[in-house]
Amino acid sequence: MAVYRRPARSRFTLLLLVLTSVTLVTLDYRGAGSGVIEAVKDGARDAFAPVQDASDTVFAPVGNVVGGVLHYGDLEAENERLREENAELRGAALRASDAEREREQLLDLMNLEFVDDIPRVDARVVAVSPSNFELSIEIDRGANDGVVEGMPVVTGAGLVGRIENVSRNRSTVQLLVDDEFSVGIRLTAEGDTGVANGKGVRRAMQVDLVDPGSKLESGQVVVSSGLQQSQFPPGIPVGRITSATSRPNALQQDVKIEPVVDLGRLAFVTVLLWSPR
Amino acid sequence: MNRGVRLRLAVAITVVLGLHLTALADLRLAGVRPDAPLLVAITAGLVAGAERGAIVGFAAGVLADLFLPSPFGLSALVYCLVGFGIGSVQSGILRSAWWIPVVTAFTASAAGIVLFAVLGVMVGETEMVGPRLPLIALLVGLMNAALAPAATRLLTWAVRAGTPDRNYAI
Repeated sequence: MAVYRRPARSRFTLLLLVLTSVTLVTLDYRGAGSGVIEAVKDGARDAFAPVQDASDTVFAPVGNVVGGVLHYGDLEAENERLREENAELRGAALRASDAEREREQLLDLMNLEFVDDIPRVDARVVAVSPSNFELSIEIDRGANDGVVEGMPVVTGAGLVGRIENVSRNRSTVQLLVDDEFSVGIRLTAEGDTGVANGKGVRRAMQVDLVDPGSKLESGQVVVSSGLQQSQFPPGIPVGRITSATSRPNALQQDVKIEPVVDLGRLAFVTVLLWSPR
Repeated sequence: MNRGVRLRLAVAITVVLGLHLTALADLRLAGVRPDAPLLVAITAGLVAGAERGAIVGFAAGVLADLFLPSPFGLSALVYCLVGFGIGSVQSGILRSAWWIPVVTAFTASAAGIVLFAVLGVMVGETEMVGPRLPLIALLVGLMNAALAPAATRLLTWAVRAGTPDRNYAI
């Protein structure tokens, strides 16, 4: 009599695949970013880089045309807003030049490094994370360009994130709104500090450890504190305060900030070749 | 599985992963993007049955894991389970209806995303289960459903030598 074995074979195949997957997860977990699996992942990213570049050349113009047609009204309004903002910024830059000079002198006196003096490499954003759970971007610079894990990534506007993973020609940047990101910040000229934590895409960053007595205003720009053993040099704009509330008898203020950088439209970034001391 | 089917499946998986990492990279709704490798696993289960669904899901997952920051092997685990699950339930349903791959892709994608997040938490990725998870599952489901007819056509082509009776009217 014939015996139908198909379901049993399917289940055996599934069992093998599940066991293999679990083994891979375990190996990756034990390697913790430095094992064979990490090397294979780095190799895959480097190998795929030329394909990514080629596809960028092919698809970027198509995407730009489609985006331009679909969002023509938005682009026009944004253009207008940017013109106004540009005029305001020119004035602000002139007014700020004196203050900036004083700040540099102060940082010199305190033996702290000034952001503008830090060597840097410019990079192009070649991809956003293929994951829906982690907020990162991929840039076209890697270990060959002197990039190492932990280095700060910025734009002209402010902090973007930190280097999370490096292969020879590519790096992954963890964005500052990622759930696992945190940065020490200075909130006021008087030196009040706190720690800003990412809370996910399109959600304000939460600032912890803010003194209840600190006088904070919405719209105020906060910068990286650069205190001892900080992961970032001082003076990088991080975000603008969107709300600051203080409850009676609370040990800290409830402060929220939004990043100064538009993370949805990153095309070029700068890696500061700086590591914590 | 004969050599021709294996080869065509390998081509299909590679093409979909390539598109996932390039052309589909900027296709986002509220910051959420489609999960094309997961769709391949679902469609393989639907078109070719449980065993092939699991194998294709595993292969697509391993390749996707090379480019993901999450633990290596997690996508392979989830996709092979989803491919197997869809393949196990597909034998009793009407095969020629065009909407079956679309509805299946929506439901299985959303379920796959939730399973991915839950298993992620179990291996230490605690932030995966958060307030955005329902939105991510819903949007991935919708976008994968929209891509399902094309994926079904591709996978049907890939396995047609092995199972010529499993073509969908799309």
